[in-house]
Amino acid sequence: MQPMALGTTLTLLLLIAFFGITFVISLSIGKKQENADSYMTAGNNVGFGISAASMTATWIWAASLYASATSGYTYGLSGPIHYGLWGALMILFIYPFGKRIRSLAPRAHTLAEILHARHGQSSQLLLAGSNLLGSLLSLTSNFIAGGALISMMSPLSFSTGVLLIAGGVLLYTLWSGIRASMLTDFIQVCAMLGAVVIVVPMIFFAAGGSSIFVEGAQNLTAQQQSFFSSDAFFNQGAPFIAAVLAYAIGNQTIAQRLFAVREDMIKQTFVTATVGYGATVIGVGMLGVLALYIGIDPADGDVNNLIPQLAAGYLPLAFLCVFFIMIIGSLASTADSDLAAMSSIVMTDIYGRNIAGKTGAKPQLMLLIGRITMIVATGMAMYFASSRFDILDLLVLVGAIWGALVFPVIASFYWNKVNNTGFTISVLAALAVFTLVRTGWLPLEGTVAIVTDLLSVVGIGVIAGLMIFGFFGLRAGVAAVVLAMLITLPFALGFLHQYPVLTASLLAYAVSAILCVVLSWFNKDEFDFDRIARHAGQFDTQNT
Amino acid sequence: MTEILLSAYVLVWPVIVAGVLFVLVRAFLREIREARKDGRPMI
Repeated sequence: MQPMALGTTLTLLLLIAFFGITFVISLSIGKKQENADSYMTAGNNVGFGISAASMTATWIWAASLYASATSGYTYGLSGPIHYGLWGALMILFIYPFGKRIRSLAPRAHTLAEILHARHGQSSQLLLAGSNLLGSLLSLTSNFIAGGALISMMSPLSFSTGVLLIAGGVLLYTLWSGIRASMLTDFIQVCAMLGAVVIVVPMIFFAAGGSSIFVEGAQNLTAQQQSFFSSDAFFNQGAPFIAAVLAYAIGNQTIAQRLFAVREDMIKQTFVTATVGYGATVIGVGMLGVLALYIGIDPADGDVNNLIPQLAAGYLPLAFLCVFFIMIIGSLASTADSDLAAMSSIVMTDIYGRNIAGKTGAKPQLMLLIGRITMIVATGMAMYFASSRFDILDLLVLVGAIWGALVFPVIASFYWNKVNNTGFTISVLAALAVFTLVRTGWLPLEGTVAIVTDLLSVVGIGVIAGLMIFGFFGLRAGVAAVVLAMLITLPFALGFLHQYPVLTASLLAYAVSAILCVVLSWFNKDEFDFDRIARHAGQFDTQNT
Repeated sequence: MTEILLSAYVLVWPVIVAGVLFVLVRAFLREIREARKDGRPMI
């Protein structure tokens, strides 16, 4: 590896060119007097090209590229599939629910806002709080990735790298919010996808082409050579499947694009983003597989160094610059989406629907609050980034916490008997059980292990049922629950508790689903879904 | 034979990515043209 291969001047020139172009693009759509609703939803009428590009760019972040390569390096041939495929399916499986949500609340700004209209404050704030936390962690993670990349590929320090990335992203997102985020995502996705098309084959052929697979085969274990590796499935794939719906429900960046895209183009947007994300992340993950075959040891023992190592080792300078822009594009596109998401949540869920009340929200004050939110969030993420927390672990934790919200949130959009009490109790109870298991406070032994294995089977049934229900309706969903439970029960009993991370996630699904169903079943009041559209509407129109 | 299949396994993903990129760019250009024709902003 050649550390600092780019040099200070070239690194600064690349960053100035990248952020300069994105800033100029954002200026082209800037309005002197921005509209609060457009700042959050881009007018609910964005076309397929921008929406699909934006969805793809937002979902691909630096950590996903690094983690996919790590998965390839750790688990071999099937590793990138077990990372990228399930991540891609997160987008696909949320699509039918997205259509339902959009039909219920065509002018909403956030998912939590719809929950406010559906249930009230506590449900709304549970989701909004977890959304904010998730976006802040994601923003921090992207700043860390940027700082690490810049410090590795140039003589600039980590802190300088974080400052440059944070300043660049804030510069072009601050004024126009989601509109700037989505339009610049298009340019960033072109840079990212274009780089994958060039960089992956170049490294493959520069490293020796197909002969790597003959010469390096002895570097792989039998599990790493298998496309059906149980190691890869249980350690990488299965926890991801459990998180498929959770990330999509808990991530406001996806919801924001759902509200922005033209309603008749939701399907092709989600399908294209699924394919784009999957192929890009799995493609970059193949670099990890190549590193394994070649027998590369990660620098400083850190597997996150694998991709930069391969790039610096096998690419000429011009293509190293392309690689650099690919990573910067991936982290900037997600970071700007996180800023836009956090500003929308504070504008809508904290100020608009709570502090200001039903008719008191002032759109211009909302815009100011949104922009201040972006500045504060950037400052906080820079502070956390400088502390070098293990953000990925925290993010995985938040993702699992979202698992507690999935069933109650989805059920709230379809079942008119779910109420605020049922929602809140089921989520809080699931969070409590999740925490007990995830932290190890409740040892998974003896009777407890049997109970958690049984509940985990219910959790598997809930996940399978929700996925099938979204596409094929209630009967198919219930059939999927029963079938998934019957198939997994013989294998799961006495086995699943050996994987506490997976068990904790499955328990979150199971406990929240069981309590939500039981509490709602005995609720006599029925909710009128038409109320949602009336209560989750525009701010500018109602006040001007 | 195995190395050819494994090479294809590694290289198929950039090909799919190129296809998606083509679809996105074509749609984006069409939206620019339509927005200009209608005299409205793209976003």
